[in-house]
Amino acid sequence: MRNILQKIKNAVRSRSIHVSYVDVGSCNGCDIEVLACLAPRYDIEQYGIYVHNNPREADVLLVIGSVTPQWVDKLRDIWEKIPEPKVAVAIGNCPISGCVYNRRGTLTTPPVENYIPIAASVPGCPPRPTEILSAILSVAPLIFKDYEENQK
Amino acid sequence: MKKTVDVSIPLGPVHPCWKEPVRLKCETAGERVLRTEVELGYMKKGIERIMRGRPWQEVMFLAERVCGICSVIHNMVFIEAMEEISDIAVPPRAAYLRVVANELDRIASHILANFSYCYTIEHETLAMYLLNTRETVLDNLERLTGSRINTAYMIPGGVRFDLLPEDAAAMLADLSKVEEEMQRHTRIFETGPLIALRSKGIGVMNHEEAIRSHTVGPTARASGVVCDLRLRHPTYRELGFTQVTRTEGDNFARVMVRFQEVFQSIDLIRKCIETLPDGPVRGGGFCKAGETSYAGEAPRGELTYSIKTDDYGRVVDIAIRTPSIMNIEACVHAMIPDATSIADVTATFISSDPCVACNER
Amino acid sequence: MTGYLYEKDLRQMKYTILASTRHDETVRAIARHLGITEAKLRRTMLRRFDMSLLENLESRWEMGQEHADNGDPVAEELGYELFTRFVPLVDTEVMQTIYNETKAMIQEGSATGEALERGKERVREAVLS
Repeated sequence: MRNILQKIKNAVRSRSIHVSYVDVGSCNGCDIEVLACLAPRYDIEQYGIYVHNNPREADVLLVIGSVTPQWVDKLRDIWEKIPEPKVAVAIGNCPISGCVYNRRGTLTTPPVENYIPIAASVPGCPPRPTEILSAILSVAPLIFKDYEENQK
Repeated sequence: MKKTVDVSIPLGPVHPCWKEPVRLKCETAGERVLRTEVELGYMKKGIERIMRGRPWQEVMFLAERVCGICSVIHNMVFIEAMEEISDIAVPPRAAYLRVVANELDRIASHILANFSYCYTIEHETLAMYLLNTRETVLDNLERLTGSRINTAYMIPGGVRFDLLPEDAAAMLADLSKVEEEMQRHTRIFETGPLIALRSKGIGVMNHEEAIRSHTVGPTARASGVVCDLRLRHPTYRELGFTQVTRTEGDNFARVMVRFQEVFQSIDLIRKCIETLPDGPVRGGGFCKAGETSYAGEAPRGELTYSIKTDDYGRVVDIAIRTPSIMNIEACVHAMIPDATSIADVTATFISSDPCVACNER
Repeated sequence: MTGYLYEKDLRQMKYTILASTRHDETVRAIARHLGITEAKLRRTMLRRFDMSLLENLESRWEMGQEHADNGDPVAEELGYELFTRFVPLVDTEVMQTIYNETKAMIQEGSATGEALERGKERVREAVLS
């Protein structure tokens, strides 16, 4: 019985991925590349991915930018508000290494991995929309498939 | 019992309408907003502190990472400031190509701003149309500079790549497609009765308030202020540039100014490509010591770089004043209080085209 | 009661804004104009202004120099519009009282310089209060 339920959940989850993005201090470049994924040319919704900015109903959190002073304590809060199963994807160089902002005199404290667990990262300054799209599509099934059974 | 403030409503930092984190605290009486306060610091990277003491070759790449949406103009203003310090002349062909790159970036930025506005007032169809048109513009930017967002196209004494004749022809063909589409989108926006209900007479900022907080760019031009630095730029003067002005000062006017400027930019690019002079695209020169303050017209308004360099071309001191600082401040302290209800706060805020990454640097 | 959710002490971040080159120059200019020390003025600003107003301080001051109080010598000397509308350091009602009383003193026949000095002293007090 549980198996059937799990199968139904797998089928539903593979075509319904809700994405929320949070900008923790980037140059906006990655931000607008995520937005560009919405455009009919890339058509993110044909894969069942729905982008909105509400952590409480999200499955995938896209983290953009190196961490600025205000986000140090708040990023963890946002991560905890997302219901399980969840996954965080780092977009661009900033969450990985701090990119150009990780120099002497900076106010940022990268990498993001110090604050929340990152499952996948898309390097690039900024990455192309297609790369972001394929990263979400390849990482989400890995985490969400048979989630309840793997918890046992 | 007299009660002045009912609730203090915080909006953000993560909000469905906002592309970047910023926090507004609105004090309300009933539905009316009495006072608004902004909490920043979500995007403060301290880029001016990083820039100090670095050679111009590095600062050039840092400058365009102040803001990703209008990265071309940040690059252009920084490079032209360095050229003014060091007396480097630009070949005429390079000067024209700079205008082409800058105007393509401006079209992309204006369309993105209008997309955000339509998305905020929940007219998702028009928003998606606009976003699709923006992709065509970005394709042309990529064709010219090799990159979609952070282009690093301009260098002291010229530009990096030449525009090939076949690329120019393809660009002109694409632009006429963009123009046709934008005419349709503008008509949808201008004549849509629900859009007018949601936009006209909301978030009004009068001429005096616009001047008081030094508003710039489309936000100021929608309130009838004459402020376009392209009027003073030598290349734009050769091209015969005139300013778009509206006088209503509401959300509708601000969005319409951006729509009209898109057509103007398309005309400028056409004129540039048709009268493109022959010659090299890269001159030469050495960056010297000096101090200057140089301003250019970004998609959001006046952008000023105050730079001090030493003999080796290192940036000793730098101060950047971006247009969003003035526009966000004017929006929050002049447009939102007293005039609008709490339901219109997000739309009004987005209509001033806030760019928080610029604002805080 | 527990503390506010999300509310954070912003003074350090506000100070970072004021510490950049152009803003520092502006703070010095305003302090010179008012005749108070920079540290005291900075403290007042951190308390009274929100972050976007602090960011915009420099261009507001610039526009204030150009457009505020044109024509009225008393208002110009006190910084009537300059300190209420351009750089809102003083409440409008307080400034109106100071302005009215200074005007009255001048009309009653006391020396203009002395009256203005008293007025400026009160503006200074209002800023620091």
